[in-house]
Amino acid sequence: MPDGSFAHPQERQFNPYSENGGTILAIAGADFTVVAGDTRQSEGYSIQTRYAPKVFKLTDRAVLAVNGFAADGNMFVKKVKQRLEWYRHAHAKDMPLRAIARLIQTMLYAQRFFPYYVYNILGGIEEDGSGAVYSFDPVGSYEREACRAAGAAQALVQPFLDNQIYFKNQQPPAGSSHPVHLPLPDVLSIVIDSFTGATERHIEVGDGLEIFVILAKGRSTQGFDGRSGVQELSTTPEGDRVFVIRRELKKD
Amino acid sequence: MEVSFGITGKGYVLVAADTTAAHSVIKVKNDVDKIIELNPHLLMAYSGEPGDTVQFAEYVERNIRLYQIRNSLPLRPPSAASWVRKTLAQSLRSRSPYSVNLLLGGYDTSDYTPHLYWLDYLGTLVEVPFAAHGYGSYFALSLLDRYHDPEASLEEGIETLKRCIAEISKRLVVSPERFKVKVVDKDGVREIEL
Amino acid sequence: MSIMQYNGGSVIAMVGKDCVAIASDLRLGVQSLSIATNFQKIFPVTDRLYLGLPGLASDVATLHERFRLLTNMYTIKEEREIEPETFAQLVSSTLYEKRFGPYFIEPVVAGMQKTPSGGYKPFIAATDLIGCLNFAKDFVVAGTASEKLFGVAEGLWEPDLEAEDLFETISQTLLNAVDRDAFSGWGAVVHVITKDKVVTRKLKGRMD
Repeated sequence: MPDGSFAHPQERQFNPYSENGGTILAIAGADFTVVAGDTRQSEGYSIQTRYAPKVFKLTDRAVLAVNGFAADGNMFVKKVKQRLEWYRHAHAKDMPLRAIARLIQTMLYAQRFFPYYVYNILGGIEEDGSGAVYSFDPVGSYEREACRAAGAAQALVQPFLDNQIYFKNQQPPAGSSHPVHLPLPDVLSIVIDSFTGATERHIEVGDGLEIFVILAKGRSTQGFDGRSGVQELSTTPEGDRVFVIRRELKKD
Repeated sequence: MEVSFGITGKGYVLVAADTTAAHSVIKVKNDVDKIIELNPHLLMAYSGEPGDTVQFAEYVERNIRLYQIRNSLPLRPPSAASWVRKTLAQSLRSRSPYSVNLLLGGYDTSDYTPHLYWLDYLGTLVEVPFAAHGYGSYFALSLLDRYHDPEASLEEGIETLKRCIAEISKRLVVSPERFKVKVVDKDGVREIEL
Repeated sequence: MSIMQYNGGSVIAMVGKDCVAIASDLRLGVQSLSIATNFQKIFPVTDRLYLGLPGLASDVATLHERFRLLTNMYTIKEEREIEPETFAQLVSSTLYEKRFGPYFIEPVVAGMQKTPSGGYKPFIAATDLIGCLNFAKDFVVAGTASEKLFGVAEGLWEPDLEAEDLFETISQTLLNAVDRDAFSGWGAVVHVITKDKVVTRKLKGRMD
């Protein structure tokens, strides 16, 4: 019988990590970036909530999507936001996107031996006005890309994006080449198709879809102004602007 | 460590195998022939569990011979490969499976084509332009990706084979000291001194 | 490492308008080492019926031989060729016979099925390794890249594709899925089956 003596040693374990499903995705355009994520949060086969945002506005030109272990994700976003506020107090301006990317790397690597169990995708507008996506692994390896999917349905979405964004395995018509950046309406269609597909085939993806659109300074809202469920989140209409489009994901 | 590989060329198949018999870390013999002649135009390099190898190779040899006696016709390479594969696949789900990996090289005297087959103990069969078993495959396959030519003459084929052996001797930690090389072509099976 | 991923390889089948398509990659590997780039995983059963066998390469050959025997016996006994739906049931029962020591294969069936009116309708089906049938109306996938195939197919497939468009859809689906799978690839083969002909094409794709 366990009696607390050394005669019957007992081992106890605590697992500090969990996995909460969901998928995130970001695509960069010439003068805009789209960052999207579903809002289902699950643990195993149980749905904890149908609305838990995974995509967060950091500044008027930066949006961060966080996927993996939700508790770590929320804490990480909180800490990034805190560092960005300190930066504002010190420098009286928002941190540039590439600097936020480097900040996230340092913050993740600081936890190298007890990592935040999350995959981050940072999207926004660079100082030169171009759309940018930065993707990270849990310990801070990062890369600037044109598009990236992460999370439970990464395997479903990423090869579709390779085909539709990078035109992989497609031959351009004779005498022409593939476009480097797609227009906003096309990108929004691809994002919605990706999540509809993922919802159809993956049990951890569904319920709601939040699509953040970050527009470079001076760019018109042409491309999504006709859409329903659009909400502007930017503090000022002058500089780069952030919008969110909220949709239901199919339920059958 | 056992190493064997084979390459096809214009009208021939070259097969090479090491000649070492090992008992854990001890080399017991260094003149073992691990390439058996199944019929005048068919040879088979075998490697794997000691005991299983020779037992299985001789079982195949006798059955191929039996077929030839019964039908007065030798089994052509694709049919021989299918039979060996079937035997290994049945053995895999038996009480005591053979642990034998094989390379089957043959020259089809009916349509004058060389054939090389890669087989493993699971009963996997695939016809390939070049093949290898054992740790040598990590060196030989990449070299053959670069240097193999299905239209190469026997002399060129032997040169490519020498490249593979040289690389294995240089880079494999426990490399075999000697290789036995056999060729099968329209004239049948014969051994080649490198 | 699962036995199902030991040799690698993937198969997909899709339904179109009065046609079906079935496609696979050509890799044969032993874990991460590629042995061959010409390994056939799709086999004709009749003129209008094809069978895809992704999984353990040894069982690919064993099952191919077994189904050849069974369909030949069927043809002799019934004095007619087997229909896709009947064949799918044959596949299912053959696999379930080995319920507690299965073949490590997830078969995919694609063909044109005779209708009572004398016409033909597209038919696809897939089973797991013990023969649980899935009659899908759109597409079925199997093999090491199945998750990726599901994702791309879900995005690219649409109902009533003509034969040429179906070929493009299944090819793009397969190619982009296997490019994200280390165990599949090294070229592909696509069969587009219509009531009066089968068009077979080999695709190069990324050879790395």
